[in-house]
Amino acid sequence: MAEISFRQALNDTLREELHRDGNVFLMGEEIGVFEGSYKITAGLLKEFGPKRVVDVPIAENGFVGMAVGAAMLGLRPVVEIMTFNFIALAMDEILNHAAKIYYMFGGQTPVPLVIRTPGGGGQQLSATHSQNLEAWFAHIPGLQVVAPSTPEDAKGMLKMAIRNNNPVIFIEHLGLYNTKGEVPAEDYTIPFGKAKVTKEGTDLTVISYSRMATVALDVARRMEQEHQWHVEVVDIRSLRPLDRETIVNSVKKTGRAIVFEEDWRSYGIGAEIAATVQEEAFDYLDAPIKRVANVEVPLPYAKPLELAALTGAKQLVDAINELAPRRRRIITHV
Amino acid sequence: MSEVNMPRLSDTMQEGTITRWLKKPGDEVKKGEVVAEVETDKANMEIESFSAGVLEQILVQEGETAPIGQPIAILGTGAQKSQPAASAAQSQRAPAAQTASANNSGGAHMTASAMSGNGQVSRETGVIKASPLARRMAEEHGIVLSQLKGSGPGGRIVRDDIEDYIEQQKATPTPATSSAIAQTVSVPASSAPSARAAAPVAPATSTTPAAPAATNGTPEVAAADADVVTLSSMQKTIARRLTESKQNVPHFYVGSEIDMTDVLAMRQKLNANLDEDGVKISVNDLVIKACALALEKFPQVNGSYKEGQFLLHKHVNIGVAVDIPAGLIVPVLRDANSKGLRTIAREAKALIAKAQAGKLTPADLEGGTFSISNLGMMDVTEFSAVINPPHAAILAVASTRKTFVPIDNQPVVRDIMHVTLSADHRIIYGAMAARFLQEVKRILQNVYPILG
Repeated sequence: MAEISFRQALNDTLREELHRDGNVFLMGEEIGVFEGSYKITAGLLKEFGPKRVVDVPIAENGFVGMAVGAAMLGLRPVVEIMTFNFIALAMDEILNHAAKIYYMFGGQTPVPLVIRTPGGGGQQLSATHSQNLEAWFAHIPGLQVVAPSTPEDAKGMLKMAIRNNNPVIFIEHLGLYNTKGEVPAEDYTIPFGKAKVTKEGTDLTVISYSRMATVALDVARRMEQEHQWHVEVVDIRSLRPLDRETIVNSVKKTGRAIVFEEDWRSYGIGAEIAATVQEEAFDYLDAPIKRVANVEVPLPYAKPLELAALTGAKQLVDAINELAPRRRRIITHV
Repeated sequence: MSEVNMPRLSDTMQEGTITRWLKKPGDEVKKGEVVAEVETDKANMEIESFSAGVLEQILVQEGETAPIGQPIAILGTGAQKSQPAASAAQSQRAPAAQTASANNSGGAHMTASAMSGNGQVSRETGVIKASPLARRMAEEHGIVLSQLKGSGPGGRIVRDDIEDYIEQQKATPTPATSSAIAQTVSVPASSAPSARAAAPVAPATSTTPAAPAATNGTPEVAAADADVVTLSSMQKTIARRLTESKQNVPHFYVGSEIDMTDVLAMRQKLNANLDEDGVKISVNDLVIKACALALEKFPQVNGSYKEGQFLLHKHVNIGVAVDIPAGLIVPVLRDANSKGLRTIAREAKALIAKAQAGKLTPADLEGGTFSISNLGMMDVTEFSAVINPPHAAILAVASTRKTFVPIDNQPVVRDIMHVTLSADHRIIYGAMAARFLQEVKRILQNVYPILG
């Protein structure tokens, strides 16, 4: 297995899928000649030509609408929205077309569309360029929404997204592009709706996704070394469909849960997960479920203010210290 | 929003009982202002607020107990409801803040009264705060939640508390009272009288001695024919410490009779010459001084046994057991060996007054090296006392009685006082205890050394 960056894993996967299926093509602003704002599509225009890697004008509603049409006619468009923040312009195409056409036209035509887009703050890109809008899309029946945290998952889930007949919002994170991880060389897909327990523990569960799932894993490992807390980390990976079973089973084991998310707290992913846990694991809960999320402000530009508004390791450590039980339970490995 | 927590007011304090709230919800609280009075294992103390604000909610009511660090009240700004959010940033945050305060004020009454998780309060409201997991575990193990005290936020009973309780139950198998109740239940109605008789007998027939309820920390189920009295912090501490002492310290006892006739005559003269605001010298003051002087010569009696070592204390600090309505307390008279009788009398009187008013501070109670328990004023022929660790000994002082004693083979009436020294045999041996008593006796009977 090779260790490669998240960025490289996406690039490799797009190349492999373009090779595998002639119906797959890429669309997006600056993805061809400029090779993408974040270089995810580096080298692909040269390799596959302008019919497979299409540079489009700055008109999200226009090119997402085109992609929906192309998908209806049997192609498999993979659209890049330069950052998550610009997706608002294409909301009607996503909400009212991509998510509904298969249903409203009696199943006559599926919409095998993938929209890839990076979100996340922390790069001093200010209020309109640093958002995490996954809750908007995870709310919509008819869409599938995924947010992998490792290069390995990025590869398997992007392949799954492209080969899947449903419209998929594939959420990347600016802060993950340079992170590295082992990626198997073979062709594989990761099914949606399967969470991954990235670290086992007995004292409490941290549920997270995307970049925060990697922060949660670091924090959990550190707290185990330094303070003997056995924190279980669940990376949900897929926001819709959501793997409720894995979440519920983990909380049944630990009795305590924190949802760690980089979006705003109110009406966020954590709200859905907290509701799920109390519905399905009420008798196992030993404390109220905690949500650790961003401060509810437009993200400031100034670095100290940006840091103060974003959630992160410190906030999670504080929450764990506050929520952890008095008694530590020893992991019993079978 | 900030919390007022149960402070740690002495080294041995584990929990405190709120005796009085000086502020009520809605009152403004200044930084450093006293908000409540608390009874600890040792003394009644005042709790000061570390921050300023408005008292929004009292979490631990008067008469309820909370462990160190547990929030006992919530302080807020008191402004969330009335001030409209002015700036854009504020208006973003306002909805959340308002929801929070609305929740708080709406639920305040119920949560406040249900907070303690202590059986009495919960019976009043019918609500016991327990996590769903704790409830399920309690049900599985047949545990009555009202027996438990919650350690979670606001006194919530959580899994930790249930597990603690289960472990405690394992450590003290078959508590006598609960087995008595089981018998009562299982016996048919026709033989009810014998079943009732079984209840008081049960402790004696139990193969393992039942640990006193106070020492294992969990109230036992009440027997049908007894009233249950919840212990104060002080009573719990007395029960725990004296049990520890009797179980861990190998006590032995040496008695002696001291002829007090001459020293009492001297005392009478000293007290007769007092001006109006002078402090009278008591028999106890004489005993304190005599012991203090004797302790100078017997450092091991003034010492402590600790983990295989003798600690020989440089100061002679005498604990004086004082009977108070709430129980028993032992304030410490410092450096008694280097103080004159008048000073000892004045300080002892002040300590006793403070003890009876419940105003002793932890400083008044710490650092003792020897103690004296005097029941002489209550017509006691003799008694022996339980050592107050880490002290090595305690002197039990009985009444001074007119007694015929043979002097030159003639019966003569003298004032005889019986004393018993309880000593820790790990640091004090029999002959040493006897010599120490001889020295106390010599000082008191010779009269003049006591003025030294």
